[in-house]
Amino acid sequence: MDELEFRRRIYADPDTLDPEVIKAAEADPDKQAFRDHIRQMNNELKQAAKIPVPEGLAHKLIWQQATDDFNARRKTQRWYTALAASIALVIGVMSTLWLVQRPPSLETQALAHVTHLNQELPENRYSVNIEQVNAKLASFGGRLVSTLGNIQVANFCHLQSVRSLHLILDTEQGPMSVFILPSEKANQAPEQFGNNNFQGTRFDLQRASILVVGDKNADLNPLSERVRKSIRFSA
Amino acid sequence: MPISRNKLQGVRVLSGMKQKQQRYEALVHAFHADIYRYAYYLAKDKSIAEDIAQETFLRAWRSLDALKDEKAAKAWLITIVRRENARRFEKKQLDIVEYDEAAIVDETCFADSTVQQNEVHRLLAGLTLEYREPLILQLIFGYSGEEIAAQLNLNKNTVMTRLFRARNQLKDTLVKTPEVRGHQNG
Repeated sequence: MDELEFRRRIYADPDTLDPEVIKAAEADPDKQAFRDHIRQMNNELKQAAKIPVPEGLAHKLIWQQATDDFNARRKTQRWYTALAASIALVIGVMSTLWLVQRPPSLETQALAHVTHLNQELPENRYSVNIEQVNAKLASFGGRLVSTLGNIQVANFCHLQSVRSLHLILDTEQGPMSVFILPSEKANQAPEQFGNNNFQGTRFDLQRASILVVGDKNADLNPLSERVRKSIRFSA
Repeated sequence: MPISRNKLQGVRVLSGMKQKQQRYEALVHAFHADIYRYAYYLAKDKSIAEDIAQETFLRAWRSLDALKDEKAAKAWLITIVRRENARRFEKKQLDIVEYDEAAIVDETCFADSTVQQNEVHRLLAGLTLEYREPLILQLIFGYSGEEIAAQLNLNKNTVMTRLFRARNQLKDTLVKTPEVRGHQNG
């Protein structure tokens, strides 16, 4: 091993245990002296490289890990809480919507209308002429071909969010109501219905469903017949 | 013995956590000093070195499960330190000012070392990074040429050349310094 190679190897790693290098050093006192010199310098370097470490660094590192772990766990817990709260909120909203969106059936709403309108009726007692009724009936594609009786009120109202025409007639059996609805929306309602005060009947007339509602003891047939005869729906 | 399934799992999770905790503490005790020193020689600033060490061990804790072999711990930590140090430059790329690297070295913090050691330390810190880093890996961690090459992703011959030049520079300076002083005095 030549001088230059020997020096390179010693410089690169003064503590090398490479047998070639050690053999070369043993064979040549100059090389041995060079090796000793560089190793001594290297020991100084090693000592100098060991700069003092800040006091309590190890404890600080362990402490920061514990805090990080605590924060991480708290974050996960927060996440779970948020998830649970979200689920609870969704369930609450859904069930409320479900309850709200199950309104009373069509015929029950018709009965309710009749109940409340009967209370207002005496104050605004006036007759509606046939043109006014026809104008409103036209939106259902129907018209009156003969008089239905004394129509006191003709109003659009919504039964189970279905738009209907509500006619209130003054008959010999007291006030009676006729509801005109699109047949496809109302044909699920029963043919006979009622409550403690009122009763009603449903029948289909071409494209429309008709509800006739009167007092519990009233006979609904005469008015039902008149409706069948008087209202014509275009095909 | 009737132990509920949940309780058993709870105990297992707890002992898993405890094991991880113990593993981490062992890692801290074994390597914190050398990791700090290494970070110091990369950053050449005491408080930055402490920050890097903290960040390094925090990352080590978070991904401790990825460390399968304890023998690889040293190389693993060194990799994290280097990445953290590099991140420092990404973060403040805009406010880096060119300084004479050797001039920055903070000597006051080594007041308890001998004058001779301070001198050597100053020279070490004064080497350029490409010579300083392999030399520090060898001096602090006792790395061989192959290990340094693997750690720094360099060719082994390149590493050997850099080690050679680093020591050569140091030797020249260490020998020259007293002579220069002598001339000045004379």
